[in-house]
Amino acid sequence: MEMELQAMYVQILALVIFAIGIIVAVSRRNVFFVLMGVELALNAVNLSFVGFAKTLPADLSIAGQIVPLFTIAVAAAEACVGLAMVIMIFRNRESVDSNDFSNLKG
Amino acid sequence: MTNLPLWFIPLFPLIGCIVLGAIALISSGSKKGPSEGFVGALSVLFPALAFASVVLLSFNMPEGGIRATLCNWIDIPMFKVDIGFLFDALSRIMLLFVTGIGTLIAIYSIGYMHGDRGFARFFAYINLFLFSMIVLVLSDSLLLTFLGWEGVGLCSYLLIGFWNHDINNCKAANKAFIVNRVGDIGFLLGMLILCVVGGSTILNYDALTSFISSIAAGGYAEGADVVKAFFNALFTGTFTPDIVVPILSIAGLCFFIGCTGKSAQIPLLTWLPDAMAGPTPVSALIHAATMVTSGVYLLARLSTMFVQIPVILDVITWVGLLTAFWAAVAGLFQNDIKKVLAYSTVSQLGYMFMAAGVAAFDSSIFHVFTHAFFKAALFLGAGAVIHSLAGEQDMRKMGGLLKKTPVTACVMIFAFLAIVGFPGFAGFWSKDLILERLYMSGPMGPFFYVGGLLTAVITAVYMGRLIVLTFFGSYRGSKESEAHIHEAPATMLIPMVVLAFGAVFAGWLWADSMGIKYFEEMLAPVVGAAQAVLPHNAAHVNPMVFAGLGTLAALFGMGIAWAKWGKARIPAAKGSSAPQGKMATWTFFWDYVHGVVVTVVDAIAWFVDNFVDKIVQFAQWLVASIAEILGDGVASFQVRKVRLQIALSLAGVVALVIVVLLTGGLI
Amino acid sequence: MLALIYFIILGVIAVGSALCVLLSKHPLYGALSLVVSMLSLAGIYGLLGSPFIGVVQIMVYAGAIIMLLTFVIMVLNAGRDSKTPRFDKVSLFVIPAAIVLAGLVGFVMVRSGIAFDATTLRGSVKLTSETLFNTAQEGPGYFVLFEVIGLLLLSSMGAAVLMAKKRLGTDNEEEK
Repeated sequence: MEMELQAMYVQILALVIFAIGIIVAVSRRNVFFVLMGVELALNAVNLSFVGFAKTLPADLSIAGQIVPLFTIAVAAAEACVGLAMVIMIFRNRESVDSNDFSNLKG
Repeated sequence: MTNLPLWFIPLFPLIGCIVLGAIALISSGSKKGPSEGFVGALSVLFPALAFASVVLLSFNMPEGGIRATLCNWIDIPMFKVDIGFLFDALSRIMLLFVTGIGTLIAIYSIGYMHGDRGFARFFAYINLFLFSMIVLVLSDSLLLTFLGWEGVGLCSYLLIGFWNHDINNCKAANKAFIVNRVGDIGFLLGMLILCVVGGSTILNYDALTSFISSIAAGGYAEGADVVKAFFNALFTGTFTPDIVVPILSIAGLCFFIGCTGKSAQIPLLTWLPDAMAGPTPVSALIHAATMVTSGVYLLARLSTMFVQIPVILDVITWVGLLTAFWAAVAGLFQNDIKKVLAYSTVSQLGYMFMAAGVAAFDSSIFHVFTHAFFKAALFLGAGAVIHSLAGEQDMRKMGGLLKKTPVTACVMIFAFLAIVGFPGFAGFWSKDLILERLYMSGPMGPFFYVGGLLTAVITAVYMGRLIVLTFFGSYRGSKESEAHIHEAPATMLIPMVVLAFGAVFAGWLWADSMGIKYFEEMLAPVVGAAQAVLPHNAAHVNPMVFAGLGTLAALFGMGIAWAKWGKARIPAAKGSSAPQGKMATWTFFWDYVHGVVVTVVDAIAWFVDNFVDKIVQFAQWLVASIAEILGDGVASFQVRKVRLQIALSLAGVVALVIVVLLTGGLI
Repeated sequence: MLALIYFIILGVIAVGSALCVLLSKHPLYGALSLVVSMLSLAGIYGLLGSPFIGVVQIMVYAGAIIMLLTFVIMVLNAGRDSKTPRFDKVSLFVIPAAIVLAGLVGFVMVRSGIAFDATTLRGSVKLTSETLFNTAQEGPGYFVLFEVIGLLLLSSMGAAVLMAKKRLGTDNEEEK
């Protein structure tokens, strides 16, 4: 087998980064790491989009390269609101430990 | 010579409106208000400039008219409309008298509004009105016409309620606005229907004309299967001529409802008599000469469409006839001088609609043209009388003013002769023409003719009553007020005299029985083709017969008026000038009808509020309680640790994927 | 061959810095590692033939979002919160689950056999913007989505401002 860049490698990389992102988001207790993990997972999804787009013929490949732009824009909005929430909670609780945030308990 | 750009015409009043509005706003804090001379000069300047540009354009207009697209207005995939202007024979004649009479009335208003605190505000409104009216008349698409249509409605509202310290004026303004809104819904629906049938492009008048002629050429059979064509259109989106013509009829009816609102026809006519609460120059300009005739203008503009739907034309004729007759009788019962003129306007508009209903759009517009002169002159004369009597509007307290205010009296008598159709005066030619066209229109023609002639007799009676009560006999007001009676200032008299000249001579543009047909030839490029579509009664009657009968009707009516009120001593007036008893029943009949409609709607609303709404609320409550119970149940699964739950759900996903893999799902 | 070498280099950097995010103690170090990871991902986008997305990735993610994150970390002075442990019992539970999930998905994907297409279009600025702003009626209609994204950004900005500002009414009165 010739040593060339395969579409599968891109997907594997995306999968690894996605898994790391999920692990960061869920296992770390500091809320900043939670946000960073989510960003990392979103990035992996974008990479997967582009990687798959490149496996499609001519015109079909455009959509996969447009959608990441929207994902990035949504991620920006998400980061904006998320950080504002962190600021607000930090002001009320003096803590960035997500275990301390349990206002929604029924 | 190159022509002026068309957008110059509406531009001038717009500038005037902005400048005067700014002056009114700036000076609103000061006690004295802005200089009247300065404001008056400005307020006449801009309409006069607009008039001058219209005149200049009129001389250079080519046969087919001038078309100019200014820019695009709405440009989205489904809907494209341009802002464009169309200056052809029809808009030319409308613009000439709109801007001309507008200028004259602006001059008149300087005298009439002298000393009023809202002097600058008044003229800002007048300029805004002229702008909207010019847009209405000059636009080349229905949507832009609608913009002007709404604009004149707004100005009408603002000017009726101009003296807003009196709650009755505000009520009259609200009534005018709300009743007009009912009509505007018709206009909007008509436009929507046209859009559905032919796309947004046919909102343009030229495109509409070619669309209609292609439909007419497509062969519409009278007994076609409308229901089948309807479902075909519904499911396939293609409109065959079988369905387009009925749909156009509905659109035509909607447009006609819009016209009844704006032009005060049955059933939406109650607002016009109340609109007399505004200053008299406003009544002359908006509620007699220009705005109320925009409905007639719209009918003439859409004439190509209306001649394809004769059913709606019949409706228009009947509505016009009933309105003309009803308003003429109501005019007999009024004591307020402006109310008489208001009902007379409604009645004359009925004539115009009758003419439009028998596809005589050119004579209809001709009556609009002559009516603008003599009715404006009558209103301005009435304004001068009211002015000289320091605000008295009850005719029973007038009398003998011929000697005290001779110029006003002469102007009003000339205009009176014009409206009753005295031979040679403007109204004679136009009314005669309408009656002649009515007679020739078809099997129902003679009936319409008799109705029109009867209305002409009543017109002569109530107008004769107005003239006799106001100018003849002896003064019936109080002694101390008699000493203060004075002739109006020159700024008021000059426009009146000019309009009186118009009332006398404007009719000679189309003296049919004398063989002068200048007006008809002028309008022929616009409405001639449409009028040729419908068949006319071929039986030729000597036009002199109609002229003779018309003259007789006028003389007969005037005779009745003189015999009844000329010599009799009228008892001194007591109480309000509103009609009493049976007269009130007749006068306020349509208000009563409106009341019934409103009551019915109220009842439906009450029913919906108390029964249907309760059911909806119960359904809401049901859904909400189910969700609440479920939520309470699920909430007990909630533990304090968010992360633990996410981890658990992740483990759940892992378990699911393993199960799917083991069962061979993904491979 | 060259592309594969570049890919391996960038991929190793991306995964390595992502692991640094996972393992770093202070959130500021985590944010800086994240920047490195995103820059290398931008390089991979360029390598794959979508330079426009790569540029947007650098500008928006590395430039704006992480900048904002860093700024907030510094403003809140969250470093004093170092007593929060990096991992706890839940973490021990999550990490194997995520690895198993990734392994399973990867197992499925490797067997699916996807390959690059030779005729695929390069996502240049010109092509991307022409597709994005194609307002023709029969076009893809991304411009509507674009407008909606504008609204979303506006509303999220408003929400963030509302949440993050001090409550003027209450706080000022308390200070008095």
